[in-house]
Amino acid sequence: MSYRPGVCTFCGTGCGHYLKVDGTSVQGVFPSRVHPVSKGRLCVRGWNIHELLGTQERIIKPYIKDSGQANYQDAIAKLVSALSSYKPEEIAFYASPRSSNEDNFALMKLARLVFKTNNISLQAESGHRNSLDVLYNGTGFAGMLGSLEDIRKAEVLIVAGMDITTQNPIIGSELHYASRSGSLLITIDSRMTKIAKLSKKFINIKPGTMRIVFDAIGHYIDKQQWGDTKSAHYEEYKKYLATVPFDSIEKETGVLPAEIAFVAERLVKAKSAAVFFTSGISGLSYDTVASIYNLFVLAGKIGKEGCGVNPIVGINNLQGSFDMGCAPDLLTGFQSIDDATAKKNFEKKWGHELPQFKGKTVEQLLADSSSPLKALVIVDHDDGIVKYADRLQSLPFVAYIGAFTNKVADVAHVVLPITTYIETDGTFTNAERRVQLSLKKCDNTFDVLPMWKLCDTIAQAAGKAFNYQGASEVMDEIASLTPSYESISYKLLSKKHGVQWPCTKKNHDGTKYCVPEKVSFVLPQKPYAAVQATQEYPYLLMLGKSQHYWHQNNIMHKTFIPLREYNATLLLYPDGYMAIAPEDAKKIGVRDRWPVKVVAEKASMKAMVMISDDVAPGTAYVPYFIREGIASFLLAYSDIVSQGEEATIPVRIEKV
Amino acid sequence: MYLIKKNDVKKIAKALEEKYTLYGPYVDEAFGQCFFDKVSADNVDLNAPIPTNPPKHVVFPHLETIMQYKYDKNAKKVDIAMVFDDTPKVLFGLRSCDLTGLQCIDRFFLGQEFVDEVYRHHRSRMFIVANTCVVPFKQCFCVCTDSGPAAQEGYDVNLTNLGDSYLIEVGSEKGKAFIESFGFAKATEEQLKQKQKLIEKSITMFEDIATESKAWASRVMNRVTTGFIKEEVWEYIGNQCIECGACSYVCPSCTCFNINDANTIAGNTERVRTWDSCSYEGYSRMAGGHNPRKPIEDRRNKRFLCKLSYSQSKKYLRPGCVGCGRCAWVCPGEIGLPNVVTYIRREIHE
Repeated sequence: MSYRPGVCTFCGTGCGHYLKVDGTSVQGVFPSRVHPVSKGRLCVRGWNIHELLGTQERIIKPYIKDSGQANYQDAIAKLVSALSSYKPEEIAFYASPRSSNEDNFALMKLARLVFKTNNISLQAESGHRNSLDVLYNGTGFAGMLGSLEDIRKAEVLIVAGMDITTQNPIIGSELHYASRSGSLLITIDSRMTKIAKLSKKFINIKPGTMRIVFDAIGHYIDKQQWGDTKSAHYEEYKKYLATVPFDSIEKETGVLPAEIAFVAERLVKAKSAAVFFTSGISGLSYDTVASIYNLFVLAGKIGKEGCGVNPIVGINNLQGSFDMGCAPDLLTGFQSIDDATAKKNFEKKWGHELPQFKGKTVEQLLADSSSPLKALVIVDHDDGIVKYADRLQSLPFVAYIGAFTNKVADVAHVVLPITTYIETDGTFTNAERRVQLSLKKCDNTFDVLPMWKLCDTIAQAAGKAFNYQGASEVMDEIASLTPSYESISYKLLSKKHGVQWPCTKKNHDGTKYCVPEKVSFVLPQKPYAAVQATQEYPYLLMLGKSQHYWHQNNIMHKTFIPLREYNATLLLYPDGYMAIAPEDAKKIGVRDRWPVKVVAEKASMKAMVMISDDVAPGTAYVPYFIREGIASFLLAYSDIVSQGEEATIPVRIEKV
Repeated sequence: MYLIKKNDVKKIAKALEEKYTLYGPYVDEAFGQCFFDKVSADNVDLNAPIPTNPPKHVVFPHLETIMQYKYDKNAKKVDIAMVFDDTPKVLFGLRSCDLTGLQCIDRFFLGQEFVDEVYRHHRSRMFIVANTCVVPFKQCFCVCTDSGPAAQEGYDVNLTNLGDSYLIEVGSEKGKAFIESFGFAKATEEQLKQKQKLIEKSITMFEDIATESKAWASRVMNRVTTGFIKEEVWEYIGNQCIECGACSYVCPSCTCFNINDANTIAGNTERVRTWDSCSYEGYSRMAGGHNPRKPIEDRRNKRFLCKLSYSQSKKYLRPGCVGCGRCAWVCPGEIGLPNVVTYIRREIHE
């Protein structure tokens, strides 16, 4: 009887699994057949999670750079004295979207209460914050509006620019099942992804034109007077829609007006519809998310069963980490730090004043060479900050907290080991706001502390102990300070596959889909900026980041099968690849795996050709994970790269 | 043949538990999922539904250390030790599909030129108690793959639930000696007939797909063997595969594995064997980078060639599929084996 129920902690789907635990080691994994989201399925990562959990590449002893291996007491003393010697503005905390809610809450408390800084942010956050901001501004609800459990209830399902069967395979599977049982599955993308192949309708758009396409659909609905005109800010939205280049839509986006009309009509006529887009590692821009959201408001697809505007996060607890206030301007549950009531609640509970100054994200602090950043605490780093390696090395103090060995730990002055998620209790909040409890399944053999306990120990050393007796007490504190988590406790979550917040005293069972009190259109902030190919630079280069997140992931390197699978592409194309259509390859005169030079206005790079039917003629696709090959190229275009999945650069491809 | 009271089943399990590590079906108390795993005689549940995991992991674990070595730099000496697990194990209440799967694995690891010592040790001191399925489950189609609902061979003891009692049949000298020690009442021909009737009744209770025509799967085996399946059909199947490997992992007869070396904190190196799957791209890739089965549809059909073609059946002395239907449970596409059989049959009939 060694199979213990738990939650898979790779991606934001939050699948249910059973781990086969024998003493202190995990020998295998099996899917949970009754889990409401995964229903007995797992992906290649989930099926091999025991390889990661059994890895020996662990950090097992605290470490101080000057003196070598240490005990917790000395390492923590060093950390506390170092951090105390800087001003709060000079300290920052880099939280991990893989940590549990309890761990992240304890870290946030450590940053704000003990070290008095608001400089706390998440790795790989950029995309999801855009999604949350749009949804919050429109509905007051900072999370997925629909529910993964309801996918099969939607009549129309739209996947917007996301390789969902790679990034969140089980959500992709759910969409496929819905489509097979009658839902209309539409994929709008610039590449023929697997989900595009499985869709009943695939709309191939020019790279970087997602926003225009969604607005054009909105424009059509509005013109036909099919839309919901009662929501707030409708007039402004209508005015904005007038700026959509609808008459030249085919030229701008490659989409036929009939296709726009088809989606518009089916969307409006369906009883329920949901849209899925990537959010997280590299998501869509604020304006594009707003366009998608506005279309669903106009089509009347908010606040009903089977409906939803659904940002899909690629990392297991990214949603939960935002819920825990791991952002410079947020407290828990997306409460603003400027919200006087929330602030007062925290100050009353913690018995200290919260820091006053306006915090910055770690990315902002690292990118700005004139920022005051002196000391940085990094938790369980994945891949995001390697581009700031030089700045990182020049910092006077870096601390690393993590369970697995990691190159970033090499630059740290103090390293503090923690347990993996199965060696302590914790909750994780998946993409659909489902807070799931993962109970401790085995002891760790190295006597390392869970992170919530470590944060408490650090706080104690700094004279402000939290006095948690267990992770459940951390959750009790979270619940007391967070309206959307009000009723959540370990007792409520035990023997359950989680509950979806808001989970309040009136609503113990949680909330499947959001029914906002008031719905507003969210106005975009910038004008359209779709990039066009020119005669000199005839190809539109797309940059894929979220699709390849797992390829260079630190934890992937601790496994056997997933590592092999994710590295398969790298073995064939060791310096990275650029995917082009067969007819373009013929035109340029290259074959598969031949080198080419990619020339853009500001920079150029070398790449290996991959001939693929999945990209349309006139476009090229480069995965972001090839660090060596394209780093300098991307640096020259960092403003465009920051647009996330929509980043598009016109290039010329030369045979070498 | 003996006839025992229902309570005596527990007595048998307890007696076996004293000599062997007991593996059997049990129901998880948190969410009610049934597993086949290490269990105490008190918790083993013969009435539990078909376990969601096959017993394959007992003899061929998901992840297993098969060798350890340590290099002594100074002495320039390597210590190598194979790692075996030969604890005596009993598989209690094995259903006939899973027993057939075990026989397939036996033929792969033991029945060919190379005998896998790691596997042989797992299997060497094993006692098998089979359990006849008097009621099939929704996804079952063992009647089409000649692997149920009752075990024909390969067990030491077979149990059949006759309603108010259990019929015991012995299948080996070991089984006979063990059962004789209890002094149970002998069963009569009448009770054997009763068992036959129950099996016949059980066969009528399968889903239509499996009972309408027993040639349901064999017709497709013929097609797969002769290769007359259109590329479009394989593409249709391949497009639905998200390369998770689940079908191979839950298959009672799949044997593919991967070997890796990993350093331990103690300074040794361990060679580990893990399950592998033909759906993975890295599985069929050659060292030089060439992949004879690169497109997903070429990889995906590999599984069905393995399970349904005659050339593979020669190796297993039977079809590679045992009709348990688990691949249909776990597949994120709709390409579990029963679905694939349906798609191919659809093509035959169109």
